[in-house]
Amino acid sequence: MPTITFSLEDLSGLVGKKLSVDEVDELVEYGKGELESHDAATGEVTVNFDDTNLPYLWSVEGVARMMRGILGLHKGLAPITVEGGPRTIIVDDSVKDIRPFISGFIAKGKKVDDYLIKQFIQLQDKLDESFGKRRSKVAIGIYSYEKVKFPIHYKATAPESVSFVPLGFKKEMTQAEILEEHPKGKEYASILEGMDRYPLLVDDEGKVLSFTPIINSDFTGRVEIGDEHLVIEATGTDEEAMHLAMNIFAYAFAERGFTIESLEVDYGSKKVVTPLLFDDTMKLTTEQVHKITGLDLKKREIIDLLERAGYDVSSSLNVSLPAYRRDQLHPYDLVEDIAIAYGYNNFPEVALKSYTIGTKSPISAFKDAFRELCVGSGFQEIMSAFLSNKSVMEELMQVKKAPLVRISNPMSETYSVVRSWILPELVDMLRHNTHVEYPQRIFEAGTVAVNLGKNVVDYEKVALLSVHDKANYTEVRSLVDYLLSVLGFSYTIEDREHDSFIPGRVGKIVVEGQDVGFLGELHPAVLDGVGVEMPACALELNLTNLFEISQKE
Amino acid sequence: MDMKKLADSLHAYERKVLVALRTVQSVAELASETSLQPIEVMRGLQWLENKELITLTEDEQEFIELDSNGKLYAEKGLPERRFLKVLDREKTLDAVAKDADLSREESTVCIGVLKSKAAIELRKEKGLFVSLTEQGSKLLEKESLEEQFLARSFPVLLDSLSAEEKFAFDALMKRKQIVSLVRKKSYTGVLTDLGRELISVGVSGDAGEESLTPDMLTSGSWKGKQFRRYDVGIKVPKKPGARKHHYGRFLDEVREQFMALGFSEMSGPLVETEFWGMDALFMPQFHSARDIHGAYYTETPKSGEVDKKYMELVKGSHENGKGTISKGWGYQFSQQKTQQHILRTQGTALSARMLASPDLKIPGKYFSIARCFRPDVVDATHAPDFNQVEGIVVEEGLDFRHLKGLLNMFAKEFAHATKIKIKPAYFPFTEPSAELFAKHPDLGWIELGGSGILRPEVVKPLLGREVSVLAWGLGIDRIAMFNLGIKDIRELFSRKLDFIRGAKVI
Repeated sequence: MPTITFSLEDLSGLVGKKLSVDEVDELVEYGKGELESHDAATGEVTVNFDDTNLPYLWSVEGVARMMRGILGLHKGLAPITVEGGPRTIIVDDSVKDIRPFISGFIAKGKKVDDYLIKQFIQLQDKLDESFGKRRSKVAIGIYSYEKVKFPIHYKATAPESVSFVPLGFKKEMTQAEILEEHPKGKEYASILEGMDRYPLLVDDEGKVLSFTPIINSDFTGRVEIGDEHLVIEATGTDEEAMHLAMNIFAYAFAERGFTIESLEVDYGSKKVVTPLLFDDTMKLTTEQVHKITGLDLKKREIIDLLERAGYDVSSSLNVSLPAYRRDQLHPYDLVEDIAIAYGYNNFPEVALKSYTIGTKSPISAFKDAFRELCVGSGFQEIMSAFLSNKSVMEELMQVKKAPLVRISNPMSETYSVVRSWILPELVDMLRHNTHVEYPQRIFEAGTVAVNLGKNVVDYEKVALLSVHDKANYTEVRSLVDYLLSVLGFSYTIEDREHDSFIPGRVGKIVVEGQDVGFLGELHPAVLDGVGVEMPACALELNLTNLFEISQKE
Repeated sequence: MDMKKLADSLHAYERKVLVALRTVQSVAELASETSLQPIEVMRGLQWLENKELITLTEDEQEFIELDSNGKLYAEKGLPERRFLKVLDREKTLDAVAKDADLSREESTVCIGVLKSKAAIELRKEKGLFVSLTEQGSKLLEKESLEEQFLARSFPVLLDSLSAEEKFAFDALMKRKQIVSLVRKKSYTGVLTDLGRELISVGVSGDAGEESLTPDMLTSGSWKGKQFRRYDVGIKVPKKPGARKHHYGRFLDEVREQFMALGFSEMSGPLVETEFWGMDALFMPQFHSARDIHGAYYTETPKSGEVDKKYMELVKGSHENGKGTISKGWGYQFSQQKTQQHILRTQGTALSARMLASPDLKIPGKYFSIARCFRPDVVDATHAPDFNQVEGIVVEEGLDFRHLKGLLNMFAKEFAHATKIKIKPAYFPFTEPSAELFAKHPDLGWIELGGSGILRPEVVKPLLGREVSVLAWGLGIDRIAMFNLGIKDIRELFSRKLDFIRGAKVI
């Protein structure tokens, strides 16, 4: 979720209206944002944006544009003039399989100060990281125009063949060295993994602009206070996303009073003039608006709301889409913008009319009946996280292997598997309660995931554990008898081995020929593992199996 | 104060102790006065104190106790007496030791002690011969101070010793393991005015029956018997009852409420394919919630089966909006990725399954309470896994106004909200999308969850046609915390039995 910081005064200037913090708080909601903080000392506000599909809002210029529309200070498409320029970027075929696309423009005629540089770097950063998928999809570079001799050449070179001084360093390094030694090189090296040549931008004199998408050169790639003309480019693997990122930048610079001059990208086989302002339209009907909003809006009102949302609209509801947005996939996306401009809180509320009967899922009802019996038998219900670890599920219980689903990217070892049985959670619970008086009788009913190798099956299970000085097999045996007979199951108990229990004091519970659980006296080694000096007896039942058997009868 | 009732409520121990307290005060004295065990005296004292009939004071004092030799000598007699007793004639030292059953060390000590009292004479002639003197005969006739002291019942309060006893004690302390000193708590009871008054009224009568026994019922002997009155306001040990877990109970209530509102419960797997968990919800495969920071992936099995028919339809919807007038996301849909397993990240997966189910009813209302998993660092606001209550309302002709009506109802039902506010939001599967905030009477504006109208790109492939579907998800854990008065989300899965036994229920 991108967060951006800017000056409240700057925002007011761009909007053309003095805004209070409260007004900003309210207005950012129209862009699905949230005011995070306001620093009264510096006058800076920080805003969070939820909608990763609206990257133009990650710049103060974009935020101001959105607010101007909502406030009715500007309606329709935001203006931009792109002057056609003679300069080009020549793309070498060598980048084709590496990072094939490039786009760029020149922004002229306005001195940049410290604040402006910070704002552009902030936008660059957010677009690189979030929208550009940590630079793999799109990466942006900004250069001082004066230091660049056009045309720019975009090519791929052997990792050891070119040396230059990367930004923030003093010595010349090859691209291979940068990936190994430079902090940015190390951070983004994975993007170029397995490639035998690396993308490079050089000017016509062979001076390196940048080793895209990793690092600019220290000479051309350093924008300084007072620079008046800048070159902005983006390279990437996703052509459309790259053009969108450049459009967002072009609009931001235009908004600041820069003149935008296009660059021609020469791929040899084709030429593309950038920034590529998409110039798309989408057809909307009043029926679509009525269907989704439920509001009886007249065409005139629809047009007005769309214009506030930053669209140009023809009388036949042909909607021109702004070039800095690419999130309209369906006319309903336009309807949402209409609803937002109308104000969500201005909508009336209408109650549902249809009559439906609510039902519990059958297994839930079965589980609830079981829980009630457990509580009635004097057992306190426990609830645990479903995520656990091997040490609880296996080692603690003295079992060699539980059918666990392991997470391949756990945040910590503590929560690295999905539980396959419940009893370990109850036993683990004892560890934290050795000071609490006995008897301790606890149970949990809930879902487990059992790894069957080829597939994973969920079961509802229940486990009961009784710990006190007289806990023994007879107690759980009576408990099983009560729980199963009261629910109408006839069952048998058969011998079985189970490493969590004392040999010869553990049994398999069989209903209709099916193994539905086990019961027994816990092995002292298990109790020792949680520091409990009391005997314990336990049982676990597969409620899903029992439920299915009950359905057959 | 009803003195008669008070008298009737006295236990036999209390009666005896109370009366004895007129003359003696320490536990040891009371024990010998009443013929009760010290532990029984203590109970009597504590109960009397509860009834404010006495004041009980606790002191730490030094007590004399018999040590290992002391216990032996109290039974067999002191070595020097045993030594003198066997001196019916002159004997060798060895013969004396043998006859008196004394160790070499003991007999050596005896010689020293008895010599100093001039009770024996020694003669050396090929060994040591011992004979009794006149003084010795006299000594044999009467008990020594030490012997008198050892005959007392122990423990003995050090401060209570007479001068003679003190002399004897000092002498014994010098000898090996006869007596020892220990610091002990001692209790003394003193009658209060009420206690004295009660005695004057009279407590001499029978204590009444202590308990009603099966025998008494069988024989009928209970008839005409009085039972001792209890102090019914007495403090008793804690005895926890068993009950449903507070959070489980809360979720049960939520489920009941949804059913009362006409919603039916859905269920589905914890380990889900990306298809149902994400793709069916029109989340593009490049969406940031779909990398290793957004979802848990499984080691084995890495993937599961996906119905080919739905896979094709969803693929088309993603790639170019096939089936609807949408442009789609415009990328190459990966059939390998869609089959990958994840742990369910959102309950909406169940709604997607429901839309494709032959059991779906239109109009229909569905909900689920789904355990979900996302890679977060566990802290006060992030549990290792969490519950989401989500669902759908499927009906022709529903629009944003109905969504607002539904959200308003939820806010009132589940958060007791007085007002709601909805804000524009983004979810890949809904358009328009809204976040629901509710004004809680105590906590101000709180975020309850997300909602929206499902996109045609979601509904058409799963349901086969475009029908209005309102979708919503509520952060039920947060609402539970408000309702249960819990500040740290981890307490929902607390490991502390005391806390669970005592936790607030709704």
